[in-house]
Order: sequence, then C-alpha cells, then structure tokens
Amino acid sequence: MKKIILLSLCLISASAFANEEIKVGVKGMVCAFCAQGIEKQFKAQKEVESIEVSLQNKFVKIKFKDGQKISNEKITEILKDAGYETEFGQSK
Amino acid sequence: MQHILLFLTLFSIQTLFAHPVSYKDALGVMSYNNSKMNEILLTYSLTPKFAVATSYLRDSQSEFYIPRINFLLKRWNNDDSQGNIYFSAGAGYEKFNSNNYSVRLGEVVADWENRKYYTYAEHLYLNRDNDQNTLIPEKNYNHTKVRIGFAPFLADYSDLNVWLILQTEKHNNESIQSTQFLRFFMKNVLWEIGAGFDGSMAFNFMVHI
Repeated sequence: MKKIILLSLCLISASAFANEEIKVGVKGMVCAFCAQGIEKQFKAQKEVESIEVSLQNKFVKIKFKDGQKISNEKITEILKDAGYETEFGQSK
Repeated sequence: MQHILLFLTLFSIQTLFAHPVSYKDALGVMSYNNSKMNEILLTYSLTPKFAVATSYLRDSQSEFYIPRINFLLKRWNNDDSQGNIYFSAGAGYEKFNSNNYSVRLGEVVADWENRKYYTYAEHLYLNRDNDQNTLIPEKNYNHTKVRIGFAPFLADYSDLNVWLILQTEKHNNESIQSTQFLRFFMKNVLWEIGAGFDGSMAFNFMVHI
C-alpha cells in the first residue's frame, strides 16, 4: 500500500512540474518578418523556454520553463506589441 | 530620366520590402548600392504603430540626410492575410558643393499580402530647395509606384522564401518604368535582385535585428 501511495505521489509530482506549453493562433502572420518579430518578443520573456512558429498553420507554440507560465492576457499583449491578434486554441 | 527614377527609388526603398513600422523595439538596417549611389537606412519602431527612421544617401554630386517618422494608420489582420495603410513624413537636408539645402517628403503606402500573393502601392511627394544637381534638377516630385508579386511555392518560417515581383513606377509626367525582381528572404534577412526592362540592375538588402 505504501508503495502504491509513493508511486502515485511521484507521478502527481512529475505531472505538476512538467513543462507546460500552449499553442496560440495568430491572425495576420503571413511572412517570415512577421514570424521573426513574434519569436523575438516571446524569447525576451523570462518564463519562456522555447517557441515554435508555423506560418503554414498560423500558430505559435510556446514552451514554458519548469513551473512557469504566462497568462493568456499577457500573451495577447505580447502579440499586440508585435502587431498581431490572437486566437487561443488547444493547450496542454 | 534614369537618374531621377533611381533617386526616387532610393528615397522610398524602405517601403519596398518591409513595413515602415514593425513590431515594438524592432530595428531595421538596410543598404542599397549601385555604381552611381549608396544608401544606408535605419528604422526603429517605438510602438507597433509608430517608428522613427533616418537615411543617408549619396550620389556623385550630393549627400542627403533625411530623418523621418512613420505611422501605421490602419491594419487588417485576417486569418490568411494582412493589409496595411501607412503615412510617412520627413525633413532633412541635401549637401551640395559645401552648401546645405532643405529637403521635405511625405508618403502614403498601402499593401496587402498573403502567403501566395503580394500587392503594394505608394505615392511619394518630395520637395527640395536645391535645383543645381544636374542628376536631379527638379524641385518637386510626385512619384507613384505599384508592385504585385507571387510566391511560386509556399515556404515556412525557417525555409528560404522566394518571390517573383513586378514593379511599375511613374514620375511626374514621365512614362511608366517597369522592373522585375527576384526576392529571397529567410527569417530576419531579405534580399532582392532586380532587372529593369531597360537593362538597369538593382540590389536591395535588409536585416531586422
């Protein structure tokens, strides 16, 4: 029984501290200069570990550092500073 | 005539391949060079709707220093495309035979693009006090330019993007001049190679830092 509880705690802990990432749709992102600006803005955030930009699928995927995250409002503001609008989709 | 068109092209080159206003804190560096003229241009976007810029240009007779401000008047961010209207104004001076002469400019730009097609139109008004430079004797210029382009294949952000562009321009009452461009860009670097139907050549380069 103790082993089961310990194993459960370990799994819960691992899940709680896993790097979180979010995929955000971006309206108006049609060129490499657009994407470069967005990438630069997010990389300047201390909570962000990495960012993936797709012109083809019109989204940015933001991977956060351990235990850190940026709110949707902040993401919207960052994209607004880059000159674009957000469309929040699925996150995991 | 060729010199005049080249001169005007240089003054409006900033908007040929990049938005006059970019993302907040964006710094754009551009250089344009050919056998007759050299130009370097810097643009810094203070906000997504306002940028300051300055350009230095020289030909065999004059040197130009023109600071300018650029405004994004309207942007349409659509699902698959983007459209913009910009306004720019600037004032500087032309150094000619050790004398300085005032120069003023105003410009309106409209563009629309998606990942496959690109359209661009601008009207530039330039006013100079100097009329002694024989390469550009006119004091007042009205210059209209239209560009259309398409990408032969769709490339993503990290890939090499290639565009074919046709540019037509008209200066005051002169005849229309057309130039075809091959544009490449990848991430933050862009370059264009152009060939006019009169045999003239052009090379544009830009990087966003």
